[in-house]
Amino acid sequence: MKKISGLILLVFIAAAVVLTAGCTGTDETPAGTAEELNFGYQPSTHQIAYMAAMEKGWWSENLAPFGYTIDRNKNEFQFPTGAPEMQSMIAGDIDVAYVGAAPVISALATGLDGKIVAAVQTQGSALVVGNDIVYEKPEDLKGHTIATFPPGTIQDTLLRGWLRDNGIDDENDVDIRPMGPGDAITAITAGQIDAVFLPAPSPTIVENDGAGRIVVNSGEMMKNHPCCVLVVSGKMIRENPDAVAEIIKTHIKATDYIKANKDEAAEIYSGYTKNTVETVKDSFSNWDGEWVSDPNIITGGVMDYVKTQAELGYIEKELTQDEIFDLSFYEKATA
Amino acid sequence: MNIKKKLTSKKLLLPVGTIIAIILIWQAVAVFIVGNKFFLPSFTDVLEAGYMTIFGPKGTLFEDFLYSMLHFFIGMIAALLVGIPVGILMGWFKDADSALNPIIEILRPIPPLAWIPFAIIWFGLTDIAAGFIIFIGAVFPIMINTYTGFRNVPKVFIEAGKVLGCTNNITLIRKIAFPSAVPSIISGIRIAMGVGWMCLVAAEIFGAGSGKYGLGKNLWTYYNLHQMPSVVVYMLVLGFIGLAIDLLFRYYVNREMLKWMEEGM
Repeated sequence: MKKISGLILLVFIAAAVVLTAGCTGTDETPAGTAEELNFGYQPSTHQIAYMAAMEKGWWSENLAPFGYTIDRNKNEFQFPTGAPEMQSMIAGDIDVAYVGAAPVISALATGLDGKIVAAVQTQGSALVVGNDIVYEKPEDLKGHTIATFPPGTIQDTLLRGWLRDNGIDDENDVDIRPMGPGDAITAITAGQIDAVFLPAPSPTIVENDGAGRIVVNSGEMMKNHPCCVLVVSGKMIRENPDAVAEIIKTHIKATDYIKANKDEAAEIYSGYTKNTVETVKDSFSNWDGEWVSDPNIITGGVMDYVKTQAELGYIEKELTQDEIFDLSFYEKATA
Repeated sequence: MNIKKKLTSKKLLLPVGTIIAIILIWQAVAVFIVGNKFFLPSFTDVLEAGYMTIFGPKGTLFEDFLYSMLHFFIGMIAALLVGIPVGILMGWFKDADSALNPIIEILRPIPPLAWIPFAIIWFGLTDIAAGFIIFIGAVFPIMINTYTGFRNVPKVFIEAGKVLGCTNNITLIRKIAFPSAVPSIISGIRIAMGVGWMCLVAAEIFGAGSGKYGLGKNLWTYYNLHQMPSVVVYMLVLGFIGLAIDLLFRYYVNREMLKWMEEGM
């Protein structure tokens, strides 16, 4: 009995230590030290604006006056899809995210403190079917396996919404497999799945490998649909709003630059990934995407995603536009 | 009698007390210190999520369990069928050991995750692909413990067997070496089951199997939707099932296969 009492006492002491330890934490940044700014992005041509700004040193150059330091080797993080990127942002590990709009919705619904402040690009994904698959209309997909990004992503949300709009039960009529881009390309190249629905440049990679052909561009599923967006953490918005406007200015500059210098954009993207420059250039000719900055043109489409995600059961309550967007910074940046 | 009763109550009281204490600490930390169920769901959050994953409209915990057990059994059976014969071969025949050892030592350290691309290419998105990943995790412990068991058969056993009429390799293996190696093989199987179970999440992460079900698969689905209480439910279920598998195996082994050993002791 003495031993048991001792053990119980020890447990309570441990509990007390844990409880008091939590109360002593501090979030203050030492005065005078430049704060690191962490960026998240995905290996897609959708987000070359981010890569161009980093490659050109514009992020560190333009944000240094606002007290931020950005080291490419330490402050940028690549994610295969938007879902883990948002996971990291919710956890506070990244401050600025180039990410699909749909993962932002499901993240906001589960506690993300952040806002969409600019658009990055519209459209730009494609449905690719294997060489042996006959496709003329959506109904032809019944009974087939389609790999796309995990639940909550643009591709998953858009694909399921489009299938439903065409009278196809996305749960029972087709076999949708959640996969990252590398696994999906491997699977269709090996002939192990029937189709993939992926963001550029993956559809072009599959076509160039001779493993399939593009049959539907995502812009045909929803015209001018939103895709990647620029998200900034709530912390940054509250603490350094002028820096947020500067981020958008830099983003606009980078977007205009890559549109005017596509060959260099292809080289920048090639440097960031293992794709060849030729493949990237092919994907520019082969996609229906458009690099943009203005968040006002995508608000309607994003709200459509909110509705779809609620129907799919990915989110429990529908978010309002004000919970998702902060349009004031774009106005400030373009004034 | 009093001593026995006291020991029994102590054996029960300590683990139960510890678990209750941990739950209380967990709940207190989650609610009063962390205060955010994304960072640390509370015990009650997890209970609620657990209820929904079993009885909710989108709950598939039971189906997930069944599909994961299917993947696990595919992997384990394949590991047994490959690991034991190869282990015997290498343990008994020196030439086989010399021939195969380098290959196995090269393949053994390669993590199961690294085999995912080939699982997709070779087997597609099938249950066998998921089982293959588990097989990779499980086959080496079985193989090596079988090998060790056969290498360590006491020489006097072999010599005694030969004297008594077991003069060829097949009968020596079957009657002398195998029974002697069984404890080591069983140890290997137990390790393999633990490793194989740990590979389950990796095996289901890439869309293999049914595509809708699997403990690892849906743990990842809830992760992608940032529903952390449900992620914790699946983590705990994985832990409890792993424990149950080990306990059942130990019970079966003690009751059936090592009866002769215990009687001898």
